[in-house]
Amino acid sequence: MDFQIIWDNREIVIDGLALTLGLSVLGIAGSFLVGVLFGCLQTSPNYFAKKLSDLYIEIMRNIPILVKIFFLYFVFGMDAYPAALVSLILHQSGFIADVVAAGLRSIAREQLEAAFATGLHKIQTFGYVLLPQAVRIVIPPLSSQFIELTKNTSVVMLIGMQDLTFASQNINIETYRYLEAFIVVTAFYILIMFSIVALMNGLRRLMEQR
Amino acid sequence: MTTTTTSRPPITQNGLKPVIWYSLLTLAVVAAAYATRDFDWKVVWDSRLFLARGLGVSWLIAIAGILIGMVFGIAFAVARKYQLGPIRWIAIAYIEIVRATPHLMIFLWVYFVYPEVTGEWISPGAASVVSLSVIASAYLAEVIRAGLDSVDRLQLESGYATGLGPLTIFTYIVLPQALRNMVPALVATFVMIFKITTFVHVLGMIDFFSAVTIVNTRDLAPYALYTIMAIVYFLCCWALSTFIHWLDPKYTLMTN
Repeated sequence: MDFQIIWDNREIVIDGLALTLGLSVLGIAGSFLVGVLFGCLQTSPNYFAKKLSDLYIEIMRNIPILVKIFFLYFVFGMDAYPAALVSLILHQSGFIADVVAAGLRSIAREQLEAAFATGLHKIQTFGYVLLPQAVRIVIPPLSSQFIELTKNTSVVMLIGMQDLTFASQNINIETYRYLEAFIVVTAFYILIMFSIVALMNGLRRLMEQR
Repeated sequence: MTTTTTSRPPITQNGLKPVIWYSLLTLAVVAAAYATRDFDWKVVWDSRLFLARGLGVSWLIAIAGILIGMVFGIAFAVARKYQLGPIRWIAIAYIEIVRATPHLMIFLWVYFVYPEVTGEWISPGAASVVSLSVIASAYLAEVIRAGLDSVDRLQLESGYATGLGPLTIFTYIVLPQALRNMVPALVATFVMIFKITTFVHVLGMIDFFSAVTIVNTRDLAPYALYTIMAIVYFLCCWALSTFIHWLDPKYTLMTN
């Protein structure tokens, strides 16, 4: 075990970490927005909106991320970064839509009826009554979805992007120190996952206080 | 016990709407088929045996990974749920670390680090099955633990009261009930494992995904080949998902 070699190659690891973090943050933001949109469509009373969202969720959930990323990169000829980001967002937003829809459905219908009875119109009911409660319920499954997205960023290595997983391979090629490189990179990944969990728990506590 | 049903279905008349929706869907499929008529479908047809063998490999390693992962998953779930001293902490550490590590990293760990530690070469096939089992066991352990939690404590106590031993109670009373409760989450995890089999591409295994990329390198027909790949993976996973709906009508929310 000689971690000096990793320290000597720290630029590779830091560049990889920056790319992984950037992709995860943008991916989480994008997939959350798209997921909430399709989750709301899923619970809407409109038949066609519900069917459209069903179709989207089924397609996105049932195609592996690797197939999506190769499709966008090789068939549509997109650049590496947009292809990676779009496929990450498409992939995870299907799962997030399902989670959000389940959260919205879990709220009692009496809440809705009470809101209408007090004279709120549809959009007010949604914004003031449904959404704040749903977000609170949805936070734990949502954080596991964000972790999945961050884990999936490692596949961008296969279209030649130099992320954290690529950094481990790069150090292997230069120094033949597999074990040290893998331990450092995996430790970074675990650190990122635990910080996501901690952030989401903090967010939940913040919302419960209000 | 009487409870007010909060999730009663909305009373709506769909009328002609499903007819319109499915006609539109059929129209879209026909239009897509027409728009893609100039793709190089002959390449797909000519290499059908190679692709079919790749698909067979995909299913084979997925099933092997699921079966081995199931055995270890039950062991880890039991170790985590019931107080077994230090074993419990080992199980928790294993489950959390595997679930926090990217799937691709686990494949690379097994393939590159195993030879460095033991000095023996590991074949891509063996490495694929081992990595899939590692991932499956960690995810299934959590699913099974949730299933075990769903079995009422009274069942256990009744078992003890009738004089059964702990092992008999677990295999004949707790496990069968737990298994039935966790069917949706279980099959959702199976779908996830099937999707992860695409990652064996990095180890040089020729599964369906690698087979498509190999044919594409030879014949350069990305439109036809990648379209077929997406359709086949969709159909395989969709068949499994539909199986869940069929098994469990209460289905609402699944884990990843």
